[in-house]
Amino acid sequence: MSLPDPETLPDDAALARRVGRAAPGHDREAEAELCRRLAPRVRLYGLRHLGGDAAAADLMQQVMLLMIERLRAGALREPERLASFVFGMCRMVVLDLRRGHARRERLLETYGETLVPEAAPPPSLDRDRLAHCLERLPERERTVLMLTFYDDMPADVLGRELDLSPTNVRVIRHRGLARLRGCITGESR
Amino acid sequence: MNALFCPSPLEWHTLLEYWLGELDPASEVRTEEHYLDCATCSGRLEQLTALAREVHAVTRESGVTVIVNDQFVRRLTEDGLHVREYRVPLNGSVNCTVAPEDDVVVARLEVPLKEVKRVDMVYTAGQHEMRQEDIPFIPDSGAVVFSSRIDALRTLPSSAVRVRLLSVDNGSERTLGEYTFNHTRHASRGSE
Repeated sequence: MSLPDPETLPDDAALARRVGRAAPGHDREAEAELCRRLAPRVRLYGLRHLGGDAAAADLMQQVMLLMIERLRAGALREPERLASFVFGMCRMVVLDLRRGHARRERLLETYGETLVPEAAPPPSLDRDRLAHCLERLPERERTVLMLTFYDDMPADVLGRELDLSPTNVRVIRHRGLARLRGCITGESR
Repeated sequence: MNALFCPSPLEWHTLLEYWLGELDPASEVRTEEHYLDCATCSGRLEQLTALAREVHAVTRESGVTVIVNDQFVRRLTEDGLHVREYRVPLNGSVNCTVAPEDDVVVARLEVPLKEVKRVDMVYTAGQHEMRQEDIPFIPDSGAVVFSSRIDALRTLPSSAVRVRLLSVDNGSERTLGEYTFNHTRHASRGSE
C-alpha cells in the first residue's frame, strides 16, 4: 500500500470548510477524516491533563462531538484557526470533566457514538529491544530515564532525589533519550 | 497547516518537558496549540508517550539492572510490587535467593561516599567480570542501591557473586567496599 502524497492531502482547514459548507451531516467523509486526524491529538492532551486512558478517551470523544456540532452549525468563522478552536474546547471539556459535568450524554443522544472513531492503537515498541537498549545506556542516563518514566517525574523532583541540579537532570535525560531513540530505531550502533 | 508536513517541528526535549509538566504556562499553551495543529509533532508526542509507557513497564518487570534510590524502592512497594531487599553491610555478605512471588530484587550496599567523586561497580561471578562505570550515587546516603534484572537472577545457578565498589579519581582507584552475595537458586526452580 502506498502512502498518501502530503502535497495532495487536504489540510485540516479545508476539511473544516467542507463540513461547514455542506448540509449538516452530508459530508461524512470530511467529518470522519477530521476526527481521524484530530482525535489522537486530543487524546494526548487528555493524557497530559487528566492522566488516565479512560478519561483521555472521554475527552477525545466529547471534543470530537463538540467540534462536529460547531462545524455543522457554521460556528467556526476562520477554518484556518481550527486548532485554536479545538484547543479551546479541550480546555473547556477538561474543566467540565473535572467538575463531573454531564454534557456527554446530551451530545451522544444527538450524534451517537458512531461519529467518533475508536482511539487508534498507540505505537507499539518491542519491549525486549527496549530493555536491550536501556542496558546499553551509560549508568547515569539509564537511572535518570527509568526513574523519570516510572513516575513521569520532573527534573526538579528527581534532582532532589539524586542530588543533582534540575539542569543536570535535563542534560542527562536529553542525552539518554537521544541515545535510546537512536538504539530503538537502529539509527545508532 | 499541511496535513503531514511541519516546517518547524517541536524538539524532543520540549515535548518531554511538556509531558513532565516542566514548561511555563505560556510555553505549555504554545506547545499544545502547535501539536493540536500538527500531525508530525503529535506523532512525535505519541512516540514519546509510548516510550515512557514501555520504560515504565520494563521497570515494573525488573527487566534491566539499574542503580536506583531508597525513594524509588518505596514507590515500588507502594505500587503493590513484591520487593525483596537485601541490605549488605560494608565488606559484608548475605545469603540470598529470588522466590517465584518476587517482582523486584534490590540490594542496598552500605558504603562511605563522602568526598568520593566517581564510583565504579564491578561484579564478579565465576570467571565472568563486568564493570559499570560512573554510577550515580548520593554522597550523604551512605549506600548504593541497585535493582537486578530478575530473569537473570532466576536462572542464576547457586553460586557466590562478588561486588566491589571503587572510588575513581584522577586515574587512580581504591576499593570502597566489597560484598558477597551467596545466591541459592530457589527450590521451585532447582530441578529446571
